[in-house]
Amino acid sequence: MGSLEGIITGFQTALSVEAIFFVLIGVFVGTIIGMLPGLGPISAIAVMIPMTFGMEPSIALIMIAGVYYGAIFGGSTSSILLNAPGVSGTVATAFDGYPMAQQGKAGKALAIAAIASFVGGTVSVILLMLLAPALSSVAISFGPPAYFALMVLGLTAIASLSEGSTTKALISAVAGFMVVTIGIDAQTGTQRFTFGSINLLDGIDFLVIALGLFAIAEVCTLVLNRKDTSLKKFHNIGSLRLSKKDFKEMSGPMSRQSLLGFLIGVLPGAGATIASFIAYISEKRIAKKPEEFGKGSVKGLTAPETANNAATSGAFVPLLSLGIPGSGTTAVMLGAFLVMGVQPGPMLMTERPEIFWGVIASMYIGNIFLLILNLPLIPYFAKVLKIPRPMLISLVIVFSMIGVYAVSFNTFDLYMLLLFGAIGFIMRLFSFPAPPFILAFILGGMMEQSFRQSLTISNGDLMIFITNPISCALLIISLLSFVFPLIGVVRKKKGN
Amino acid sequence: MLKTLNQKVSLVLFAIALLYLIYAYQIPSFPYTVVDADVIPKVLGYLLLILSVFLFFIKDEESEEQKARRNIPKKEVGMLLGVGGLIILYIIFLEILGFVFVTALFIFLCSRFLGYKNYLANVLVSIILPVSLYLMFTQLLRISLPSGILPF
Repeated sequence: MGSLEGIITGFQTALSVEAIFFVLIGVFVGTIIGMLPGLGPISAIAVMIPMTFGMEPSIALIMIAGVYYGAIFGGSTSSILLNAPGVSGTVATAFDGYPMAQQGKAGKALAIAAIASFVGGTVSVILLMLLAPALSSVAISFGPPAYFALMVLGLTAIASLSEGSTTKALISAVAGFMVVTIGIDAQTGTQRFTFGSINLLDGIDFLVIALGLFAIAEVCTLVLNRKDTSLKKFHNIGSLRLSKKDFKEMSGPMSRQSLLGFLIGVLPGAGATIASFIAYISEKRIAKKPEEFGKGSVKGLTAPETANNAATSGAFVPLLSLGIPGSGTTAVMLGAFLVMGVQPGPMLMTERPEIFWGVIASMYIGNIFLLILNLPLIPYFAKVLKIPRPMLISLVIVFSMIGVYAVSFNTFDLYMLLLFGAIGFIMRLFSFPAPPFILAFILGGMMEQSFRQSLTISNGDLMIFITNPISCALLIISLLSFVFPLIGVVRKKKGN
Repeated sequence: MLKTLNQKVSLVLFAIALLYLIYAYQIPSFPYTVVDADVIPKVLGYLLLILSVFLFFIKDEESEEQKARRNIPKKEVGMLLGVGGLIILYIIFLEILGFVFVTALFIFLCSRFLGYKNYLANVLVSIILPVSLYLMFTQLLRISLPSGILPF
């Protein structure tokens, strides 16, 4: 069966009343679960799998896919409203989304996030349809050296994530990297910095860091400012309407980042997080007014939101065409496929076109549902901000605690949450930026692994990073993207 | 000798880096590997040492707003410690008394402590929210939370 016939079959499946109904349920449940801190796409999918028993495989998988991108979408809401990113893919969303909400423009911020997600999601589904077969072969040619170089590229973001002192940003990043070395080393099984505690063997969970550094540290600031009347604006939701100027500002990042986000999403292991960070820094680099970033910039919010949704569709390329899950979430998706008796891989497209193309075709519909479901609901979501400050503080603490507890079922992690909340607050007091910390924490682990794997392959020869064409190119880009802003700083100083 | 704040902070970071390095040198080695588990930690430790020395010598580029953040009145420090203390009590009693009971108490006390005066609303929220969250997690999502003294 040719691709075109396959696509037609796919749309027939996806447009059936049953499929539309379940994709609607999927995106709705996904959005709700994604909004709760701690419950990201993995738990959302895991929760829904038992519900699909007895369903037609294609319909079941269409629903599960809906849960997946619905959850990514929902995660941005808590990032914007509460500065509490529940999943790593929405950390960068908080950088400009939360300042916007503080300025009384929460409605606008959520609307931008919804539209950017829609565009990112839809463009990448089109790309997925066109490129899935060809891209899968590129994705497997990405070996450890190329991954290492990709992580280095991600880390160059540190230079642009600093507000003021680059030294402090670097210190913050090194500290984040140090935290990730805690636990059992994956390659040798050696315990590092566990101090004999069994609770530290698995290392420190991402959520503990994200909710600690962002949500709990923000709680401390809220406690101090609880009587500050100048923050009254925070209670305003503001209009949802976007002006022509807003759309004009959004169009650039949306078109660039849907493509870039999709391509990064295709790479196994990279995914929505790296896509959103790279989107954020690349837009900041080329922006005419980079100083607006981090203070409620429309571009700064559009870029990561477009990219994380685009990457979500991108992640389906290796999953559907090779049967390789690129992330924890797609691994659970793979599990869902296997439970249904469907083996994703090169044969899926020809043997079960109604599933392969049906899932892809349903994503168009799912993305449209996400938009029409969420835009009218924004005023209700944003009501969160009308809650009196003392009550809001207690609720954010409780939600962060549940988020962490529901992942580890261990009170030790709750103490760690409190500890990292204190660290985050102290970092704020002394102007050490938190984003480089979390970026290094997310990338550090993968970076160390790919670095050591590469050197194991080359038997200790560092030249492997130069001789591998992909990694060489990525390292050159990283070097340039690190050096250019520094040159700018030096020039500015000379000018002064 | 320590004139600027950066110098004080840099000394603290220097000490942390040294401590980290001491532990990094104690990581046992593994014979059959090209890059051992201790390589990256050692690199990180030295990096932090170098960066903290840098910090000692650089001048601060902090804005007035950033400096103002550190002026916390003593009373407010007490508030922060109070909330921290409540959180610690929450963690200690979470698995003993159960999620619903402890969360209800926490929301009520913490909101009251921070100056929320609407008793009726406070009582209602601190009862309805934990109960509905508990039911949602345990019944719908099948994620168990500590039931504690509750019979179900």
